[in-house]
Amino acid sequence: MAEKWSYWLKDVCQDHNDIIGKKCANLGELTRAGFNVPPGYALSVDAYSRFMKETDASKLVLKYLEDFKADPNDLAETLKYEKAAQDIREIVEGIKMPPDMEETVKSYYGELCKIAGCENIYVATRSAGPASHPGQYETYLNVSGADDVVANVVRVWSSTFNARSIIARARLNLPLHYDPIGVAVLTMVDAKAAGVMFTINPVNGDVLKVAIEGSFGFGEAVVSGNVTPDRYLVDKVSLEIEEKIISDKGSEFVYNPETREMEYAELPLEQRKAQCLEDREVIELTRIAKRVEAHFGCPQDTEWSISRSLPFPDNIFLVQARPESVWGKKKRGSVLGKKTGLELLLEKAVTPTKVNNVGI
Amino acid sequence: MAEEKKFPYAEEVKFPPAMAGWEEMYPPHRLFSKDRDDWEKRHFWYQDKIHDPEALYPLDDIFNEAWQISLSQYTTRVFCIPPAQGVQQRMLGCYMYISAVEPPPPEVIGEKAEVFGKRLPYVLQNYDMLWQKWLEKFQTLGRDMQNVKVPEELPKYVPDEDIFPVTKGYTPAYEVMAAFNTLVNQIFLGWQYHFEYLNLAYLAYLMFVDTAKKLFPGIKDGAVMKMVAGVDAAMFRPDEELCRLSRLAVAQRPVGDILKKNISADEKMKELQGTQEGRAWLEELEKIKDPWFFVSCASGWFHYEGSWVNKPDVPFSYMQSYVERLEKGEKIERSLKAIEKEREGLVEEYKKLIMAEDDRKSFEDAYNAVRTIYQFTENHIFWVENWFHTIWFDKVRKFGNLLVKYNVLKKTDDIFLFNRFEVPMLLEDMVTAWALGVGAPTRSKYWMEKAEKREKILAAAREWAPVPGLGVPPEEVSEPFTVMLWGITSDKVEEWLKGADLSANEIKGFASSSGVVEGPARVIKLSQNIVELKPGEILVCPSTNPSWAPVFTKIKAAVTDIGGLTCHASIVSREYGLPSVTGTGVATSIIKTGDILRVDGGNGIVTIVKRACG
Repeated sequence: MAEKWSYWLKDVCQDHNDIIGKKCANLGELTRAGFNVPPGYALSVDAYSRFMKETDASKLVLKYLEDFKADPNDLAETLKYEKAAQDIREIVEGIKMPPDMEETVKSYYGELCKIAGCENIYVATRSAGPASHPGQYETYLNVSGADDVVANVVRVWSSTFNARSIIARARLNLPLHYDPIGVAVLTMVDAKAAGVMFTINPVNGDVLKVAIEGSFGFGEAVVSGNVTPDRYLVDKVSLEIEEKIISDKGSEFVYNPETREMEYAELPLEQRKAQCLEDREVIELTRIAKRVEAHFGCPQDTEWSISRSLPFPDNIFLVQARPESVWGKKKRGSVLGKKTGLELLLEKAVTPTKVNNVGI
Repeated sequence: MAEEKKFPYAEEVKFPPAMAGWEEMYPPHRLFSKDRDDWEKRHFWYQDKIHDPEALYPLDDIFNEAWQISLSQYTTRVFCIPPAQGVQQRMLGCYMYISAVEPPPPEVIGEKAEVFGKRLPYVLQNYDMLWQKWLEKFQTLGRDMQNVKVPEELPKYVPDEDIFPVTKGYTPAYEVMAAFNTLVNQIFLGWQYHFEYLNLAYLAYLMFVDTAKKLFPGIKDGAVMKMVAGVDAAMFRPDEELCRLSRLAVAQRPVGDILKKNISADEKMKELQGTQEGRAWLEELEKIKDPWFFVSCASGWFHYEGSWVNKPDVPFSYMQSYVERLEKGEKIERSLKAIEKEREGLVEEYKKLIMAEDDRKSFEDAYNAVRTIYQFTENHIFWVENWFHTIWFDKVRKFGNLLVKYNVLKKTDDIFLFNRFEVPMLLEDMVTAWALGVGAPTRSKYWMEKAEKREKILAAAREWAPVPGLGVPPEEVSEPFTVMLWGITSDKVEEWLKGADLSANEIKGFASSSGVVEGPARVIKLSQNIVELKPGEILVCPSTNPSWAPVFTKIKAAVTDIGGLTCHASIVSREYGLPSVTGTGVATSIIKTGDILRVDGGNGIVTIVKRACG
C-alpha cells in the first residue's frame, strides 16, 4: 500500500486540510505551533475510501439505497431517513476493517499508550470533515483498548450515514452512499472542566474581549448545550476578568467505568453553583486565546479541556480551533478614517457636549 | 405633570442656628442671590468635594476665586473651546458649589471655532518649548513671592537708614499694605498660569477616549487612562528625595539609627546635630528643602494642612519606615522606566488589535497628540498647589504674626478667618493706629469677636451635612470637566437623590486603576492620621493627597469617596500598579477600619467581604 493514509498530528498542518479533514489539520497546526494539544493521530479521508471500497461496505450501502426514496425537504419524511440511517449504520458497523488498516490503527494506538506510559489509555475518536459541518458527524469519547479503538473508528465513519448527514447530502443532491471524512484519534484529557472559548466577544464582535464558557466534566456538555455553563468575559490587554457569571450547572458529562459509557451525572448540591475554573486558569486560557488568534490571524472559536491530574498550567489543553464564523468573516472597514491627531482634536472640540442646562 | 426629582434650591436650604451669619465671611458676588435667581435656578449645582470637601476658611477661598476666573477664561476667551463655557462657583453654608455654564449661542460657537482652529495647532506643535517657558516663568513668580518683604514690626520710629543719606519716602505702614496686595496679585497670577494648557489637555484626553472607544467599544475608561497617564516627575520628586536621604541614612549608621527612634522630628534633628554624620546628612536635607520639601501634607488647598517643610514629623515618619524597610533588604524606590515601558507595551497591544491600516495611523496620531499635551495636567501640580501655596501660607502667617503682635487678632492663623478683601481692612486698621501715634486705638475687639464667632460658625458647618446638589439635576451629565475632574455622572446624581444605603456590602465607583485584591481596610478621614496606615492595608479616605506618595508603597489598594479618573488617587494608583476605586461617594461612611474588602479596580467595585468584629 503506497498511499499514506495515517499521520501523527504533530506531523501535519493546515495544508493537510483536504487530506485528513479540518479538525485534524487544525489540531496538527496547533501542535506544531507549540500549543498544548493532547497527543493523537489522524486517519485521512483516503482511509475512509479504502474502508468503503476495499470491503463490502460501499456495495451494501448502495444496494440498500436502491429502494430508498424520501423527500429531504419534507419534515414528515424525516422518520424515513432515520430508519435508513439506523439500517445503514448497522450494515457498516458490522463490517471489519481490512487487516492491514486494523493493524496500523492499533499500532498507532500502541504508540499513544507508550507516550502516556500506561496501557489501554482512553482516547476520543473524532470525525474531521474536509469542509466544516459542525455537529453533523459523531465523536466517541473514552474509548479504551485497541479493539475498541478500531470499532469506534468504524463507528465514526458510519456516522456519515446518520440521518442528519444523509438529509444534508440529499438536500444538496450529493451522493448519499459516500462522504469521505478524516478521523482524529486523540488522547483523552481527564477533564475536571472543559468548554469553549471565542477570541472575540461573539455577542458584539468586540475584539478586545475573550469569551469563555465552561462546565464541570467533559466539554460535550457545553458544546451540546446540555448544561448552562459558567461564563467569563476577559479583557485581552489587561487580562482582567470583566464578567463572571457562575451558573447552576446541574450535571456534568462524565465517563462511567462500570457501564463504559459517557453519561450525565448530577452534581452534588454544593458543586452545582461552584466556579468550574480557577481565576488563574481563566487568565491562562485568555493568554492561549491571544496566541491562537495571532497564529491564525483571525478570530477563533476554540475548545479546551482542563486535566484533573496535571499541575497548572500544564493541565490546560486545546482540543479544537477554527475560525469564528460570525464576526471573523466580516470585512472590517476603517472606523475613524485617516485623520491626524489635530483633526481629531478639532472634531472633538466642535462637538457640543450636553451641559447641565435643565431649562425651565 | 410627573413629579420632578430635584434637590432643594439654594434658598430652600436650612442651616442650624449655630451657623447663623455664615454669609458675611464670603464676598457678596460669591453667594446665591435674588438678583440672579433665574440664572442660578436654570443651572444644576453640586458641591465641589474635590477641592473643598470641608467648611471653607474665608482666606483659603482665594484659590477658588482665582480658578473660577482662570479655568473659565481659557475655555471662553483664550483657546476658545467652541461649545464649552466656564465653571461657576457659589458659597452656601461655608461649602462651595459649582456648575458648568450652559453653552453659548450658535453664532458664538462658530466664532470661537475659528479662534480655536488657529491657536490649538500652535500649542500642539510647540508644546515642549511652551512648557519650558511655563516652568521658567512660574519659578520666577514663586521666587518673587518668596522675596516679598513683610515687615516684622512697626518700629517706634523708623530707623536712621530710612532717612540718611536719602529719605526712603515711605514706611512699614505702606509696606504692610502693599505687600499683602502684591501677594494677592501673585496668587491670582499663579492661578492664571495654572490653567494655561489644562483645558486643552483635558480636551485632548476626551478626544483620545472617543477615538479609543470608536475602535474598541468595550474598552474601559481606566484602560484608556492607563495609556495616557504619564509619570508626574515633579510631584514624585519629594518622595524620591526621601528615598535618597533614607539610603544615605542607612549607609551612615548613626543617622539611620536616629531616624528609627520613636521621637519627634525636632528631637531627631537635634540628635543629628550632635554627630558629624548627622550634620552632613542634615546639610544634604537642607540642599533639597526648597523646592522638594515645599510639598503639602495634604492637598495644598488649606492653611491648616501644613507642608513637609513646616511639619517635619510627616517626612521623618516616612523616612523612618523607609530606613526600616531598607534594613530588611526591601526596595523602596519605584522604577519610572518600568512604568513607562509598561505603558508603551499596552499601547502596542491595542495597536495590534486594530485591523484597518488607516485606523491604526489615526490612533497613533491621536495618541501622540494626547501624550504631547496631557503631561501638563500632571506636571503643574507640584509647582502650583504645593510649592507656590506653601510659600503663600508662610507669607500670610507673617501678617498673622504682625496682627497678633499689635493686638488686632489673638492667634496667627485667625487671619484665615477673614477673606482676602477683609484682610487689607485689618492691616489698614493696624497701621493707621501706628501712624496716628501713641494711644490711638484699633477695632481689636470687633475683629477678635468676629474671629471667634466665625470659628464657631465653621465648627458648626463641619458638623452639618451639606446637600450634595442644588436645583433640578440634568437628564445627563456630560460636561467634560465635571465628569473627569469631579467624578460627577448621571448615575452619581441619581444615587445622591436616592440617598446612600449605608448597610450595603457592595460599593460602586470609578474603575480608575485595574487589579483585584483583598485586604483589611483602614479608614483615614483626617489627613494627619495617615501615619496610622499599616503595610498591606487598603486605604479608604475622602480623597488622597499628592504628598501621600510614600503611602502607596505600603498599601494594597485605594478607595476614595471623591474623584474621577484623573484625580490624584487614580494617577498614583496606576503608577504604583495598585487597584483603586474612586468617587464612590460613600466609602468612608460605609466601611469601617478592619473590614475585609475586595477591591476590583477594573470594574469599580468594592465588596465588604467580612465586617470587622464589634
